[in-house]
Amino acid sequence: MIEAAQRDPARFGDLYDHYFDRVYAYVARRVGDRAETEDVVSDVFHHALASLGRFEWRGAPFAAWLFRIAANKIADRAERLGRERTIEPWPEAEEADQEEAHDRARIFALMRELPADQRRVLELRFAEEKSTREVAEALGRSEGAIKQLQFRGLESLRARVGGKHG
Amino acid sequence: MAERDPIERLNDALERGEPGAPGAPDERIRALVALAGRLRFMPREEFRTQLRGQLEEKAMAATTATATLPLREGFHSLTPYIIVPGAARFIEFVKQAFGAEEKLRVPTPDGSRIMHAEVRIGDSMIELSDGNEQYPSRPASIHLYLPDTDAAYQRALAAGATSLHAVEEMPYGERSGSVKDPFGNHWYIATHHGGSHIPEGLRTVNSYLHPAGADNLIEFLKRAFRAEEVEVYREETGGPIRHAKIRLGDTILEMGEAHGQYGAMPTGLHYYVPDVDAAYRRALEAGATSIRPPADQPYGERGAGVTDPAGNSWFLATPLAARPT
Repeated sequence: MIEAAQRDPARFGDLYDHYFDRVYAYVARRVGDRAETEDVVSDVFHHALASLGRFEWRGAPFAAWLFRIAANKIADRAERLGRERTIEPWPEAEEADQEEAHDRARIFALMRELPADQRRVLELRFAEEKSTREVAEALGRSEGAIKQLQFRGLESLRARVGGKHG
Repeated sequence: MAERDPIERLNDALERGEPGAPGAPDERIRALVALAGRLRFMPREEFRTQLRGQLEEKAMAATTATATLPLREGFHSLTPYIIVPGAARFIEFVKQAFGAEEKLRVPTPDGSRIMHAEVRIGDSMIELSDGNEQYPSRPASIHLYLPDTDAAYQRALAAGATSLHAVEEMPYGERSGSVKDPFGNHWYIATHHGGSHIPEGLRTVNSYLHPAGADNLIEFLKRAFRAEEVEVYREETGGPIRHAKIRLGDTILEMGEAHGQYGAMPTGLHYYVPDVDAAYRRALEAGATSIRPPADQPYGERGAGVTDPAGNSWFLATPLAARPT
């Protein structure tokens, strides 16, 4: 997949689909803020596309290369915003962040398998942090219906997360 | 107290933002609240698809950009490659009729035929050869913009062409007439009314295809070569394509569904791409058949050949100097 995209940049979409969740989860965990996370993730993939030809297989997985780009972008950004440059995390923390990113990416991917209405409610409720009332208004449904979709959605996501482990 | 609805209890716990004590009767609710917490870092679907679109556009621009290719003067992304028996006489015809200038002629070793030749008309090139068994005769339809349609039409008839359509004013702002030359090529000679005798986006020489199944061919070109629809005109919705402009690299390819005297007429096209190997592979994936796989050529190009589903031969090429590293 990586080689295909190196030979033909138009294949980059496949790489993006494969690694997006991991990169997003990693950046979100480090940055915290949604708008900033989106900016950094966007930077990371634009940078990766532009320098894909320079990626060499040296035994390090492609995800690690992307995490490395992400870590640099986050540091650059903090510096530009005049914040103190964040201390480089020690290797154990870096490893933990990457592992957590893999875990979350798996949950994000499973989320997309949920029925559309459940998925939409969970996304608005937890990713966009809207209240039940706001979600009800946004989707034109009753608060009761939203609560029910939220319950069913989380239940079925939990079953999937558990199910695919064992 | 009656046990409250788990749906309500979950919502309450979420609103409070308290996971509750482990091992509490509400173990199930607790697990769901914890899971919801991990969704806080979930990407917005809208963001994910928007960014994907941006990247694809950028990646596509990189694969179709021809501006950076070191092409010889007069060459653009797409050049008609006309294979006709009697290539030497054909060169005389285009000189007489359209004022073409011979730029290159490579004869076969025994000197009996032309292996490859190049002529220039206005801002464009036409490549041609006598062909052989591997490359059979491939006449073309050319939309040719010249300053004086009437004069060119008359000269073409004098040089041996027959009329397909007498010169007249067209409703789309062109004066145009068409001929068929003695080698089977169609020439749609036109003068555009406006600032220039060539309409914006087109050139002196424009390849015009008449495929049986224009819709399919356009789909193929999009998949294989990242072609872009600039304009598609049908007389009725769902009806056949009467005229389409398709962008390939820096060149517009015109086409209309085969009909009447404009029957299917597969042709040859020389197409410069930034990465011939990638274009060749995508073309095969999109349904083309191989004429020859990519290989470095002694004349400084890496070239490959495919036949598209409508039967046109594509000679794909990347100048060796521009090969991706």
